Amino acid sequence: MKERGGKIGYFCPLVPREIISAAGLQPVRLRGETSSIATADAYLYPNLCPYIKSVLSSALADRDNLPEAVVFTRSCDGMRRLYDVWRSYLNPKFTYMLEIPKNSDEAAIGYFSKQLKDFASQLSGYTGRRMMEKALQKAIVKENRSRRLLRDILSLQRTMPVSLKGSEIFLQGLNMFSEPERVTERRIKEMHQKAWGSNGDKPAAGQVRILISGNVMDRPELFEMVEHMGAEIPVADLCTGLKFFSRQVPEEHEDPYLALSMAYLGEPHCAHTASPIQRVDEIKKLITAYCVDGVVLTSLKYCDLHLYDMPYIARTLADADIAVLSLENDYLFTNVSQMKTRVEAFIEMLQGD
Amino acid sequence: MLRKYYENMKAGLELQYEKKPRAATRLLIEIASAVIAAYEENIPVIWTSWYSFPMELLAAFDVASFDFEIASNSLPLLEPDTAVDVMSSAEEEGYSPDICSFHRLSVGCQMLGHMPHADLLLATSYFCDGTARINKVIASYHGKEAITLDVPNRIDNDSITYVVKQLKTITGKIETIAGKKLDIDKLRECIRLSNRARLAYSRAAELQKLKPATWNGITAVVLSQAQDLLNGKLAQEQIYQAILDECLNKVVAGSKHLEENHRVMWLAWFPQQPTVVNEIFRKNGVNVVMGERTYAFWEEKDERNPWEAMALWCLQYPYTGHIEQRLAGIEKIIDEYQIDGVIHFSTDACRHTCAGQRIIGDRLQKKGLPFLVLDGDMSDKRKYSEERTRFLLESFIELMAARK
Repeated sequence: MKERGGKIGYFCPLVPREIISAAGLQPVRLRGETSSIATADAYLYPNLCPYIKSVLSSALADRDNLPEAVVFTRSCDGMRRLYDVWRSYLNPKFTYMLEIPKNSDEAAIGYFSKQLKDFASQLSGYTGRRMMEKALQKAIVKENRSRRLLRDILSLQRTMPVSLKGSEIFLQGLNMFSEPERVTERRIKEMHQKAWGSNGDKPAAGQVRILISGNVMDRPELFEMVEHMGAEIPVADLCTGLKFFSRQVPEEHEDPYLALSMAYLGEPHCAHTASPIQRVDEIKKLITAYCVDGVVLTSLKYCDLHLYDMPYIARTLADADIAVLSLENDYLFTNVSQMKTRVEAFIEMLQGD
Repeated sequence: MLRKYYENMKAGLELQYEKKPRAATRLLIEIASAVIAAYEENIPVIWTSWYSFPMELLAAFDVASFDFEIASNSLPLLEPDTAVDVMSSAEEEGYSPDICSFHRLSVGCQMLGHMPHADLLLATSYFCDGTARINKVIASYHGKEAITLDVPNRIDNDSITYVVKQLKTITGKIETIAGKKLDIDKLRECIRLSNRARLAYSRAAELQKLKPATWNGITAVVLSQAQDLLNGKLAQEQIYQAILDECLNKVVAGSKHLEENHRVMWLAWFPQQPTVVNEIFRKNGVNVVMGERTYAFWEEKDERNPWEAMALWCLQYPYTGHIEQRLAGIEKIIDEYQIDGVIHFSTDACRHTCAGQRIIGDRLQKKGLPFLVLDGDMSDKRKYSEERTRFLLESFIELMAARK
């Protein structure tokens, strides 16, 4: 059988890139690129996650350049249905639905590790190459290294003022999802050096420090808005931010699949496994660690996993005298001017304190 | 407030039942009784989704169970304006109007103090994200543990073992709350009762294949949202047997009183709030013969392996898994029940059902079957338009008529 290589598309940052790399494929997280998501409305329905609809619209508009292989996750209702629609209308050569448990206890970790093993086996069937455990161990070490470097940079953000702009770290994090590992590593090392040596262009101390907490975000508008107002973003607790960088997979574990399962279902918890209480606790830890003055809770529209929790989280933080702003976004940030008014008012309020 | 509604409702239903003992009325009395019982103090109350949790397990413990979705969503039918007020309270707290009205009502009732106490909150993962999420949110208000029974998309040994493991863990929690160990023989007996009820139900469903169908399928669709409350209880078998007897009596009587111009299959939910749907159907001789949740999709449960049997029931549910699982059920019903048209009720925030509409529509188009997406909302009257509902349904009925 002819061996296959190339790129494999995925969506949710809970897909272990390590397994894809070990299979000799390049993992590329798919992002919505079109300015309109209306095409997807005809295939899914309007009141669905704008990230999912945006990616589907992009795919429908550019069928010739889609990855032949795509990995989906049982992470939310929208993703379950995207899997159905993608297979029905885009004819991919290979698809896989990765079962991500909605719990993170022992049973869930055990089940997920079996799913990961099955995923690796299906990928081997697709590529025509047997996946060696050694290759997986190596991929774990590599991914850990990239994430660790980014975490190191983040740890420098605990200082006042921050070493780097939050938007800069956020954008680099996004690049990690799509570019080859060697490029990522080079870029992060450069960034690391910049962070250590950043003395000249540091903003003045005493600035308001904002934590952005939410789900998937692939565009920098919110970061730019906050920074434009003169506030700092030391940390972003997003699926495409800290939640991704924080995964540290045990490297010497005798069962690499179990090791991956523990790391991906462990802290920081994804909204689809955590309770609102756990999420508040994790946010509070970040507030203390990064000396945060205010929290911007943000969610994609129609994301039930986040929208249901937001009022409870906002109320609990407010009861603890933590300033909170809740914002919904439509992934493409077409509602930027309305958002800007609210962000400005929030930061002005904090600056006045 | 909610308790009072159910007490009044139960009293009214009991009077009705005395005059005319109908099976559907008895089922409603059982539902009302269960809700009222949950308000008793000093008894353990386990919150769960009656329609998706394997209720035989709770029946084996004989503990009070409370379905917060079903309980709070009687309000739109009884008091539509009060329901809006409750939802508005939730929205003022920050719950987005884009989330399911079922859940805005549930959390609103919780915030306003209308709900009973909870000792443990169980939800399942396979219907929608919202149910499991709101279960966790409400558990936070109670300071009690919320558990999600996580049901994977695929059916294989690993997924069965995984669900069984979770059911056993949940059993341990219930044992603590109920103050007694699970009696495995009692569980087997509950499974046996559940099987007997299934048999009676399947026979009644079989009679729906006759023309005209003997039972108003809308009642079946509406009740299917709550009837699983009785899974594993003798009352369920008795009620289904009574439904079967009522249907058989109609067959014997000739069923000539039933006008049936069009046989329709109903997909997803039926609105809880008052609508013109029933009126339009009656006027036009439209009979909802079957709904996708109202056929017996599951095999007889194996009482020798009660854990696996309960796990399989969850895994085989039409809404679990890929769209093929749902489509297979829909196509089976269409073929067996001589369906003239299919209506998908598209409640605003029901992402998992609505996002499958296109695929279902395309499949039905290949079969040459009229398909209507009827948009609206289960419980929020602010999102309901009588004119639009009338226009869509009447056009659809014309389309079905034109094909005859």
